[in-house]
Amino acid sequence: MSVLAIRQVTRTFGGLTALDGVSFDVHEGEIFSVIGPNGAGKSTLFNIVSGFDRPTGGSVAYQGRDITGVRPHALVRAGIARTFQNTQLFEELTVLDNVLVGMFPVTRAGMVSAALRLPHALREQRLATEEAQRLLRMVGLEEFASTPAADLPHGLRRLLEIARALATRPRVMLLDEPAAGLDSAETRELASLLYRVRDSGATIVVVEHDMGLVMEVSDSIVVLDRGRKIAEGPPMLIQKDPAVIEAYLGEEASDDD
Amino acid sequence: MGVPELLQFVVSGLKNGAIYALIALGFSLVYSATGVINFAQGEFYMLGGMVAVWAMRSLGLPLLAAVPAAVVVTVAVGALVERLALRPRRFEPPLVLIIITIGVSMVLQSLARHLFGPDELALPAFTPGPSVVVLGAAIERQTLWVWGLTAVALIVLWLIYTRTKLGLAMRATAVSHDASRLVGVDTARVVMVVFALAAALGALAGVAVAPLTQTAYDVGARIGLKGFAAAILGGLGGPVAAVVGGLVLGLVESLSVAFISSTYKDAIALVLLLAVLFLKPSGLFGRSSREKV
Amino acid sequence: MGGAWRRHLPAIVSAALAVVVLALPLAVSDRYLLKVFMFVGLNVITVAGLAVLFGLAGQVSLGHAAFVGIGAYACGFLTARAGWPWPAAVVAAVAIAAAGGLALALPTLRLRGHYLGMATLGFSMILGIAFVEAKAITGGNDGLSGIPLPAFGALDLDPATASYLLVWGTAVLVLLLASGIVRGRPGRAMTALHGSEMGAQACGIDPIRVKVTAFTLSAALAGLSGALYALTVGFVSPTSFALETSIILLAMVVLGGTRSLAGPVLAAVLLTLLTYVDAILPGLSKEAVAFLQDWKGDIYGVVIVAVMLFAPAGIAGVARTVRTRLGGSS
Repeated sequence: MSVLAIRQVTRTFGGLTALDGVSFDVHEGEIFSVIGPNGAGKSTLFNIVSGFDRPTGGSVAYQGRDITGVRPHALVRAGIARTFQNTQLFEELTVLDNVLVGMFPVTRAGMVSAALRLPHALREQRLATEEAQRLLRMVGLEEFASTPAADLPHGLRRLLEIARALATRPRVMLLDEPAAGLDSAETRELASLLYRVRDSGATIVVVEHDMGLVMEVSDSIVVLDRGRKIAEGPPMLIQKDPAVIEAYLGEEASDDD
Repeated sequence: MGVPELLQFVVSGLKNGAIYALIALGFSLVYSATGVINFAQGEFYMLGGMVAVWAMRSLGLPLLAAVPAAVVVTVAVGALVERLALRPRRFEPPLVLIIITIGVSMVLQSLARHLFGPDELALPAFTPGPSVVVLGAAIERQTLWVWGLTAVALIVLWLIYTRTKLGLAMRATAVSHDASRLVGVDTARVVMVVFALAAALGALAGVAVAPLTQTAYDVGARIGLKGFAAAILGGLGGPVAAVVGGLVLGLVESLSVAFISSTYKDAIALVLLLAVLFLKPSGLFGRSSREKV
Repeated sequence: MGGAWRRHLPAIVSAALAVVVLALPLAVSDRYLLKVFMFVGLNVITVAGLAVLFGLAGQVSLGHAAFVGIGAYACGFLTARAGWPWPAAVVAAVAIAAAGGLALALPTLRLRGHYLGMATLGFSMILGIAFVEAKAITGGNDGLSGIPLPAFGALDLDPATASYLLVWGTAVLVLLLASGIVRGRPGRAMTALHGSEMGAQACGIDPIRVKVTAFTLSAALAGLSGALYALTVGFVSPTSFALETSIILLAMVVLGGTRSLAGPVLAAVLLTLLTYVDAILPGLSKEAVAFLQDWKGDIYGVVIVAVMLFAPAGIAGVARTVRTRLGGSS
């Protein structure tokens, strides 16, 4: 079943077209990658799917329901979580508290019960803390639980964002360049984490530059170039696609300038 | 109400509107360069009037010297505020800078009370003489000065913006701080100049209007709010929008006094402000709220 | 053993402080001094709300004196003119202030940027006019007088002690409830929002809702403080709720610091006592007292600027830094 249906999504900024009629489907339980050279429109696409931006045209459907223009927090509550290319951690809070904030949609205590420290609020807080600790173990950050996020080593910040996103109990995880800045050992760890997350029942959509990782973990891939979809399919086919090769060669040529 | 009476209200509205326009320009300039709403903007207006009066009374300067002196002193204060209180924290979120401007405005107001006293003061008219009568409406000579100075300020500002390297740097900084730095714009200096310009506009408004309405150490907050409302009406955007916003606010205020009541005249600005924020946050002339790329 | 002791230390210290504060009338015989301490308590109530608004949700208000005024006039009018019993009047005053806060916050906070500060400034100016002009309710410039001192049933206390206990009893309760909010799920949502708005949204937090809630709560607490002011002082006049009062309140939270209740409360105590320095330091010369009164505005302004320049996280931030350094060795 199609869990995300992107239909003719277009986004223009003034005279600039960042996305031009992009359509594709993401299926339940797969690891789906969006790749493409710089400026292809990947981040814009992510921002639209996660509600941080609105398309100029086209629509996004989630589990058959139109979600175009729904605000980010409501999408998280509906089951779409995300991480950011530039990590958006709560720097002053501890690693554990960052994950606890992620538990916001799945906990209930309001102003009154928190103010009065009602038993159910305290119990909920205890259970949430246990769950957050479990998630930290899952991503391998348990030893940093009481470290302020600002002091977390750089390569681990993305893992914390993943743990925080997992805390919202998502059905779809949007990961924006999760491997950026990781060394090869850390990238292998990340791949195994992605499999574990997928096996726990979430669909994963990744924007990623690390082709090794993309080709290894993806079930299917969509390739964007200058705002258009130029290819779609399983890794085997994408690697041989002439349009894709040309798009990437063009980028390398311009990098050499 | 006859035509002359109505016209009289229009004149009064355009007079106040010109003042609001100058203050609104100051807000827009600083906001576009820094993302900060400068709560001390109204104090520049207060300083302009108060320093001019003080220069005449205590230093015995003639009006012709006191007015430019007041503008120069205020400009220096504006530049100093930027250099000493804001620049050290310029990489902090706007909230921090906004709070600093609140503190600065409190200090300026309080200092003004100590230096110039708590009383209401007035400046003599620039050119004394009877009012000019147009279609039955009397226009005070000083009102003509207000309009003239506003026009000159606008033209000078426009020339700076479009014809000078500094203006180019200001426009570049408004678009993007980081990009401007990359292409070699000294953004810190630009921001300081912007503050000085905003102070000049405020001071000019303050001296121009001081002969018409008395001034005092505590007039800054109220005029600041009016100017801000005008700037919001114009969408906190370009200079033209700020000026039109000021004139519209002045007219609306004046006409509501004519047709409704004068008791809550000062409330009109805020009601208008909230209405715009609620219904059309991009301002009267904005196309749509600015996109975040 | 030691760990448990350490964990409960803040609670024990807070409880001890509460007992000392509430028992103070037994030790202080000077009625004026007791009254000054009562004013401290009134500011503590307002600042507790502002600490949530500013320190957690990262919003600045320049109009909180107006909400204090709403609470004061509403409670004063209902008890003195409408003959309501004081507890009902207090509840109504708090509700009216909260409704005012909600009405102001909803349109302003839907937007990006920092328009709230200006909107609150304008709001307080309009109310400043209204307090003078709506003579039927407020008594205009003459003020609203004849507000009866609350009666506590069978308890026979002298007025100063009764007022003090009413204010500080409420303040202790407010702080207890506020600390629950700060530490609980709502407080975490606010802190998150302050840290990264996008990150908070990605955690399912609705920024508008959280900010509006924080603002409404702070308006309600300001209204509560105003209501108690009316009851204990017995007289309300428009000059008490001017812009300067709002800025003094802002100075208290800024000095107190973010993500903390204790910091702003301490700052509220210090800065309120500064205003009444003659009461706590009776030996001070008249000239010195007059000087402090005269330069009050500059002092508050300089405090705001200096804290933002040199210690933006305020007293609470400095305390956290010190604790981290000391904590490293324990």
